[in-house]
This record gives sequence, structure tokens and C-alpha cells, in this order.
Amino acid sequence: MKKECIAMLLAGGQGSRLYVLTENMAKPAVPFGGKFRIIDFPLSNCANSGIDTVGVLTQYRPLELNRYIGSGQPWDLDRNDGGVHILPPYQSNDGASWYKGTANAIYQNIGFVDMYDPDYVLILSGDHIYKMDYAAMLAHHKRTGADCTISVMEVPWEDAPRFGIMNVDENDTIVEFEEKPKQPKSNLASMGIYIFTWQKLRRYLIEDESDEHSSNDFGKNIIPAMLHRGEKMSAYRFNGYWKDVGTLDSLWDANMDMLSVSSGLDLLEKDWPIYGRSLSAPPTYLGKDARVKHSVVSRGCTVEGTAENSVLSERCTVEEGACVEYSILMPGVTVKSGAKIAYAIIGENAAVGADARVGKAPEQTAEEAWGITVVAPETCVPEGYELGANRMLNSDGEESVR
Amino acid sequence: MNGLHGIIFSYEKEPGLRELCRHRMPASLPFGGRYRAIDFMLSNMHSAGITDVGVVLHGNYQSLLDHLGNGKTWDMARKYGGLRLLPPFADNRKYQSEEFRGKMEALAGVRSYLEEIRQDYVVLADSDLIINLPLADVLRSHIDSGADITCVCTANGDFVENATYFSLSDDGRVQETRCAPHTASGFRSLEIYLLRKELLLRLVEECEARDKYSFRRDVLGAMCGELTIRGFVWDGYAAQLRTLKEYYDRSMELLQPSIRAELFCPARPIQAKDADEAASYLAPESRCVNSLIGDGCVIEGDVSDSILFPGVKVGKHCEVHACVLFKNVTLEDSVTLKRVIADKNVHVLSGRTLIGHENYPLAVEKDSVI
Repeated sequence: MKKECIAMLLAGGQGSRLYVLTENMAKPAVPFGGKFRIIDFPLSNCANSGIDTVGVLTQYRPLELNRYIGSGQPWDLDRNDGGVHILPPYQSNDGASWYKGTANAIYQNIGFVDMYDPDYVLILSGDHIYKMDYAAMLAHHKRTGADCTISVMEVPWEDAPRFGIMNVDENDTIVEFEEKPKQPKSNLASMGIYIFTWQKLRRYLIEDESDEHSSNDFGKNIIPAMLHRGEKMSAYRFNGYWKDVGTLDSLWDANMDMLSVSSGLDLLEKDWPIYGRSLSAPPTYLGKDARVKHSVVSRGCTVEGTAENSVLSERCTVEEGACVEYSILMPGVTVKSGAKIAYAIIGENAAVGADARVGKAPEQTAEEAWGITVVAPETCVPEGYELGANRMLNSDGEESVR
Repeated sequence: MNGLHGIIFSYEKEPGLRELCRHRMPASLPFGGRYRAIDFMLSNMHSAGITDVGVVLHGNYQSLLDHLGNGKTWDMARKYGGLRLLPPFADNRKYQSEEFRGKMEALAGVRSYLEEIRQDYVVLADSDLIINLPLADVLRSHIDSGADITCVCTANGDFVENATYFSLSDDGRVQETRCAPHTASGFRSLEIYLLRKELLLRLVEECEARDKYSFRRDVLGAMCGELTIRGFVWDGYAAQLRTLKEYYDRSMELLQPSIRAELFCPARPIQAKDADEAASYLAPESRCVNSLIGDGCVIEGDVSDSILFPGVKVGKHCEVHACVLFKNVTLEDSVTLKRVIADKNVHVLSGRTLIGHENYPLAVEKDSVI
């Protein structure tokens, strides 16, 4: 059946900058904020914005992600008509081909989009933490009569060289796009969220595919080509919390942001809920000597020790005398008695042995040697082991510098 | 499908639960920081592989319907079978205004449903029982012993309002059934009964023909000579929530690790509807010890020996001790609560103090503003 707007969610990225955390799962499946996974944000935004058809383009290590999305029921996306669809690369008559780039991923699924005959297509990334009303962005797209609307936000000028920067005129029509400019002319950064008029995009995708030299990427090829040809491109300004969590540091930062109300990322407010799939677990038990301060705790945890400035995901255990500071424990982590964890990310179901030391505070380390410490999912840090700042422990128990 | 069918009764009002059951049936009574009473029996059934369950309803069952939905939570939203809600049928005029007098009358009201049951065995259970019972073991014991009816009971000698007590012989046969005595004696029935479908249909028919309505009196009591009725003694945790005091004491017991380990054992998880709440936040100045907390709470004050359901807000300088706070209870700053059970959405304004007693916990009705 015809839909006005459907969403295509790019969830196939390798997530190599999350290192050991994405050894066995796609980046969008990485847990966030205690109860959620990264992909819950775009999916919940769709549900809250009234978009009921979402194609999720997967490629690398999709098992965990496929299992997590399932029928789409947690996001109300189990629909008779529409709903959530997983779209992996597939075998066609001309052989199978990997998704070569973001634009190619959509190109290979033109057939899927055409089934719904939409007027507009919303392109989303699976590695952003934000709450956004796509319906308002779509209204902007229709009002301006644009062929492409790109959502942008003002970033501090000194950060602008790290982003794709949009130079706009007085009507917020995009006149120039610069990828990571050394001397930025504006501080409006692209958030990697696009709405296209589908028939227009369809033509550009086909054209781009026939260009052998193209890297088939929205930012590098499609957007510049459309600008060059004078298509109407509009910037949609977003004011609110948004963060790309593609790196270990930004993932840690975003989790810490969630702890403080002033960051603008409030997952507890009910106006724009984030939904997720979670296992059944009893309420959390905080023991007689538990000290939990400026932290979040999800259900199924048992805390007998100390947790400060930290995120405890579902089913974590912090034993007596153990201490967790400025750290993120992903679901199912066990911290044995006497262990100390500081400035670290501990992967799902990992265990930190008694009296082990993981991570260090910046003030205890030389500035250049400091960094977040990471333990891979399903990994055991042996009793008494010391894993210093900026180190990583992979699932084979091998240590390396990040 | 393992040959067992579940029937859960939710028709009895519990005046002993006072404020907590003024607006709901005991089946939808919140318990344990995130559950409703009926979640336990439905999860027990789900863990035992039961796919088809009928819930016999009467009375004020609105909140129960909201909670059960299509049964998805317990994997009982099925193409065939699954969860069936059985409200009083409109053409049976006598059931319209009056409560069912007993289980046999309630079952007679849903006879056409019983006839359609696809399984050989049926387990009957109450909805106000908090237990994590391996029903598959009860079925095995029933088949192995060759009994006509197996009754799950406990040797725990606590007195429970309106309970049924058995005397068992050395080989486990029920010799005597005592209904609602004033003192506890022998084995207390947990009101879980397992029998063959054909026998159940025959008993329902016989009782209806003679205007007998009580399962415990007219079947267990009256027929213990002609039928082989056996006890299945359960020595684990079981709470029959019939008075406020019982509710409070049983809730507080959950703070003991051994009881939680048993009731929430990972092999047979208790499933409850997800409230879609984010993780709970504990502020820098807060203290929260020996307590169970649900998701979506914001705690800025001092909480000890308490149970907090999802979405509870505890303001700065509050003191919460030995309380049970239901979903979305809000305490403004500097509130003191001791031994209080506050129902859903209760709002306590700044600076108020409420103190109950161990023997008489203070219950605050749903949506009250204090």
C-alpha cells in the first residue's frame, strides 16, 4: 500500500572505531544508557513521529541486531502493512554484492522502497543518540518544496572542521557543502539525517550507480551531485541533544551526558519515550552497604558495593567492596569483590575478577597516556589483573593499546 | 503442548486488602516492585509449557484487562488457544450482578469453554497467589501417583484468611478438608488443583445439577471417599495475599536474598508487562540501601528497607523507611514515610509525614494527594 514517507535506516557500518565492542555485533546493537541499544533511538523516533515503515539495512555481523529487532513489537512496528524490515545484501541474477556505500545500499533496495510507492524517503543512521520529530522535518521539506532536506545543528566553531558543513542562504537553502573544511564558513553541521523526494533520489541513485568512480556515498556523491545540478536543498535546523557515538570516547561521553540533566538528553521524560526490547528481570536490589551516587541502574542488578558517576545496565552485579567510577557496565557484567573500575567500558556479560584494577582516572596518569579502558563482551578479567588506562582486553584475553 | 491446560480464577473480592483492592481485583494487585499478582501464576504456567489459559473473571476487572492485553507477555497470543478471558456470559442472568459463590459455579458459567479444551489435564489456580512453582513437576507427580485430583499445599503453619486446610495421611492422601477455619492446622491449600479434563467436566455437571458451587466443600470435602485426592507438598515460598498485613509482611520478605533467589529463579522467570521506562537515576546526595527499585525512578533522598515500583520520585531530604511505593508515586522534598504502602500515582506534598506500624501498615489509596 502507498505510504507518504518511509524510513531507511543504515545499520550496516562495521563500527571499527568501537574496536572490541563490535567484534561480534553491529554498531547499532551496542547497548546504551542502561536499558537501550543505539538503534532504539532512530526506531523510537520513527514510532513517535508516525512513521510506520522502516527498512533496516544490515551487513556486518547482523545476528544480534536481527534478533534484537525481531518483529519490531517493542517499537510498535509489527504492522500488517509496513512495519520494520531487515534488508541484508542479497543474491540476484548478476550475483551477490556487498553494500558498497550508503547510497548503494539504498540503490540495491529500490525495489523495496517502490513497493510502498512513497512520496518521500527518510534516510537515517544507526549510530546517533538523539530525540527528533521526523514529522516536523517532513513538514519543513514539504513547505520549502525542497528535493532534499538535510537536518543540521549548530556546533561550536572550533569543532566545525570535524563535520560536514552546510553553507546556507538567508532562507536556509543550502548553497554549498564542505566535508570537514579547514576554514569553515558556517557552523551548521550535517547530522546525517536526510529526507528526499523519492522520485528525485531514485534518479540520482541510478545515475550514481553507473559512475564507476563514485564511492556510492550520500555525503561524498549524491548530495554534491544534487547541489551541483541546482536541485533545491534545504537545511532543517535541529536544537536538541545529538551525538554520533561511533567512537569509544563519544560513546562514553554520551552515556555520561545522560547522567546530567543539563546535557539535554533526558531519557526519563515521558513526552518522547525511547522504547527498547529487554529481557524479563526482577527489580534491582541495592544492598545494605550499597553506595550508588549520580548513576543510573537498570533492573535485574544487584549492587552491594559502590557505583559513582556510572551507568549500570540490566542484570549487572557489583559485589561488596567493589567500586565502579565514571564507567559503563553493559548488560550482565559482574564485578567481583574488591575490584576497582574507573573510566572504563565493560562489554556485555564480561566479568571482572576479585581485586582486579580496570582503567585509571586522568589525574593518576600522564596526560598523553590517558584514555578510556575497554573490556570486550563475554571476557573475563582475571583475579587481581591490572588493565591500565587506554588499554583494551579482547575476547581472547589479549591486551593491547587502543 | 504438554497436555496441561490452565484455568485462573479472578472473581473474589478481598475486603482484607482494604484500600489496595477498592479499585482492582486481587489479580492485578502490584507486588514485588514490578509485577501484578497474576503474573506469577501465568509465568508458572508459561514455564511449564502451558500455552492455553482461561481466566475466569467477575467484578471490577477493568485494570486486569488492561494488564493482560492479548497475553503476549507470557507468549500466549496464539493463533490457536493462547490466553482467553472469560467474563460472565450475558445470557446467564443470575451471574450478572452477584459474585460467583464458588469455583464450581464459576466453572459452570464457562462450560462451553471447558468442553473445547484440547488438553487432557487441567490445572485450576487462584490469581492472588505469589509463587514460583514448577507445575510440570506437579503434573508428573499427579500422573505417577494415579490420583484423581492433586492439591498443592504447604506445611507452613501461618494463618491465612479464608484458607483451606487438609489433613494428609502418611502416603499423601487428603483425609479431611477444612474450609475457612479460624486457626491454622495441618497443610494449607495453595488452591492449585490438577485433574483430568473429563473428571472436571463430570464434576461441574454434577455440582450444577445439585446447585453445589464450592470446589473445596462439595468436591474435596464431600467426595474424598470416592475420589483419590492427594496432596503435593510445596516447601518453597508462597504468599496468599488476602489481608493488608499479609501483603506488607510478604513484600518485606522479598528483601531477603534467599527468597528473591527462589521466587525470581532464572530457570523459571516471572514475566511482566514492560513499562518502557529508562534506567533509574540516583542523585549524588541520595542514599538507597537494602531496597528493591524498579526502572524509571528518580531518587534524591534517603531510602531504606523499601520496595519502589517503576517511576517513583523521591525528592530531596526525604526519608523513606520500610515502605512499598507503587508505580509513579511522587514524594516532594522533605517527606517522611515509614511503613506506608502508597498506591499508584499517590502524590505527597512537601514536608508531610506519614507513619504506619508494623502491625498496621498505613495504606494510601490510588491517586490520593496528601
